[in-house]
Amino acid sequence: MRKLIEFRNIVKSFDGQVVLKGVNLNIYENEFVTLLGPSGCGKTTLLRILAGFLEQDEGTVIFDGQCIDKVPPYRREINTVFQRYALFPHLNVYENIAFGLRIKKTGEDIINQKVSRMLSLVNLEGFEKRRVTKLSGGQQQRVAIARALVNEPNVLLLDEPLGALDLKLRKEMQRELKRIQQEVGITFIFVTHDQEEALTMSDKIVVMNAGEIEQIGTPLEIYNEPVNAYVARFIGESNIMDGIMKADYRVRFDDKDFECADFGFKQNEQVDVLIRPEDIRIVKPKEGVMRGEVKSVIFKGVHYELMVETRTGTKKTVKMHVVTQHDLSNPQTGEKISANDFYVDLEDLENNQIADHDFVSIANAQAWDEEDRDISLTHITHNIEKAPGEYSITFGTDKGTEVTVKVYVIHPEYVEDARHNIGISALDFFITADEIRDSMAISTDLKTWASAEAWNLQDDSSVEITDVRFDFDPAEVKEGTYDITFATRGREYKIETTAHHEVGDKVGLDFGPEDIHVMHKEVADV
Amino acid sequence: MKSFFRMTYPYILWIGIFIVAPMLMILLYAVTRSGNSTLTFQFTLDNFAKFFSDPDFMKVLWTSLRIAFITTVFCILIGYPAALFIANLSERTQTLMVLLLTLPMWINMLLKTYAWRGILMNFDMESEVKVFIGMVYDFLPYMIIQIHTAIAKLDRELLTASYDLGANKWQSFLKVTLPLSVPGIISGITLVFLPAVSSFVIPKLLGGGNYVLIGNLIEKYFLVAGDWNFGSAISLIMALIIIGSMWLTKKIDRNAEEE
Repeated sequence: MRKLIEFRNIVKSFDGQVVLKGVNLNIYENEFVTLLGPSGCGKTTLLRILAGFLEQDEGTVIFDGQCIDKVPPYRREINTVFQRYALFPHLNVYENIAFGLRIKKTGEDIINQKVSRMLSLVNLEGFEKRRVTKLSGGQQQRVAIARALVNEPNVLLLDEPLGALDLKLRKEMQRELKRIQQEVGITFIFVTHDQEEALTMSDKIVVMNAGEIEQIGTPLEIYNEPVNAYVARFIGESNIMDGIMKADYRVRFDDKDFECADFGFKQNEQVDVLIRPEDIRIVKPKEGVMRGEVKSVIFKGVHYELMVETRTGTKKTVKMHVVTQHDLSNPQTGEKISANDFYVDLEDLENNQIADHDFVSIANAQAWDEEDRDISLTHITHNIEKAPGEYSITFGTDKGTEVTVKVYVIHPEYVEDARHNIGISALDFFITADEIRDSMAISTDLKTWASAEAWNLQDDSSVEITDVRFDFDPAEVKEGTYDITFATRGREYKIETTAHHEVGDKVGLDFGPEDIHVMHKEVADV
Repeated sequence: MKSFFRMTYPYILWIGIFIVAPMLMILLYAVTRSGNSTLTFQFTLDNFAKFFSDPDFMKVLWTSLRIAFITTVFCILIGYPAALFIANLSERTQTLMVLLLTLPMWINMLLKTYAWRGILMNFDMESEVKVFIGMVYDFLPYMIIQIHTAIAKLDRELLTASYDLGANKWQSFLKVTLPLSVPGIISGITLVFLPAVSSFVIPKLLGGGNYVLIGNLIEKYFLVAGDWNFGSAISLIMALIIIGSMWLTKKIDRNAEEE
């Protein structure tokens, strides 16, 4: 194939922000090339430089062997299908398509012939006299394609042309575009952020990220052999693990050594390991290379998507004391008051993280009058010291209605999981059955009541507690003591399978050396 | 919805008292004879006959239409390039320019016209030219703002598409910008031609006294001659001409759109 376009070290910045950081790319004749990347990665900028709507700061664009840096857009043999179509609202379908030909002073009979041919190419026969503003999105799209193709360009640029269409129409247009490209046999350069669109239509995909090209390849190459975790995540679903390359054909991840097909890495190099969800087979618990429990099942039409936890997260179990609360009433004023006993973390006291008014909410202290109106608790007295022990605190209203509850200052045990760098803490707590019944989001409330927190031991950043386990029915809970377990996310594998499994099933996971793909770690962007 | 409608009552009342009622009175005066008592009206079409049968009045009408027409043409010829220029400036400068354009509107027209009289006094030119200068000066901002609004709301991507399809800047202007700014020109015409045809201060002050337009005529019959009936008839004729030309421009606009 003949090289048609060559980008040489293209640099472009807007207002000091570098959008393209020296892009080199060759595009050949008759190729369907897709520039794929998230918004802001520079793909549209590259396209507009090629069309001549933008001028690069550095670098050269070679078109058909000639430098076109100084050629204005209207002299380039390139046409564009715009993101929002940019059809001329004052012209009908026929005149929109004829626009380029009229500029070239083409004869009326030839215009007629070419426009009709284009209309049948995009399946819009009979729409000649329609106003473009009255057309549907898909029809406008077709007009835009016809308007560009009628000029018989060497290259057609398509800037996210399917973005505004609904799913069904988008699929239809994908097929349609591929057909048109094969029929007219010219180079299509297609910009999209939709990986599925890229996989479906392209001969060649160019994956871009932050102004740079990450990988160039056929859809199959990009899917099966992504060069790094970024590309792997962008194309298709993926499980990506931190691993260490022990030797050629031997990689260690999730505390186990696996045989793999990859070689040529440094010994003990830190790598990313990719396993596609459809490459993992579910087997009986004893048979696979890993074991786990099904955490969730989502029906996706053709298949189920399972999340299987092979290693549980870091856990901490606390006691919940469900108590009966006795409202105290003051016969003189008619006021009522109530509060719960509570636990306090000594460290929080020492760091002065708790002020007196915080005790009101921790103890869930409240007062109300005969008409059920809330009353402020203005008097708080306590003998709490910064040492472990049992203390008491009294909450009171202006009129002298008071309640006294116990405060346990404790030194709670943190669970520190050095292997996975996670710490987790939670406190025992007192709560009434009514409060549990009234809770609208019980897991979240339990986390709040127990002050449950998890963090990264290395940098102290907070880690999400994804799992709250308890064995009572919130609607039927009785007085007593219950265990609540809080846990962070463990190692989960995403698996696609057609067989049905229930949440809680114990399963084995199986994959072979050919299912494992080892990638170099991405170099952190400075 | 109903309570929202109730909020319009004050405006309906306002319009009723200050617009509808005076219009009805003009209509009443125009078709009656002078010397009416409160309850007895003598209906007649003599006022209209008098206007249309007198060649002097017809000449005044013709001059008014001609002056308004030429004023409008000049406003378009000067206003369009100005609006195009402003629309291509940065957003911030555009706001500033529009503000500068509207600034003279804050000053009383009488004052501005007197200023022009002072300036033009030293020049030896035909009084009609002086009237044109005053009229174009006064009405130009309306034209520029209307056209500017139409150009500014044009999707820039349409021009990009036009370049993409092989049209250079001039071709793109002729084939995209100009046709799409026609609605702006039309509303500019409405805002310039209609007031121009009935203006009387500018021709009176800059035309050297002997320059009579339809507006001056109306003024004279109301304030000098005290013939409210004939004055009303002329006003009514003017109103009909204005309504007619508005209808015409709307129709042209709609035809252009359906094209």
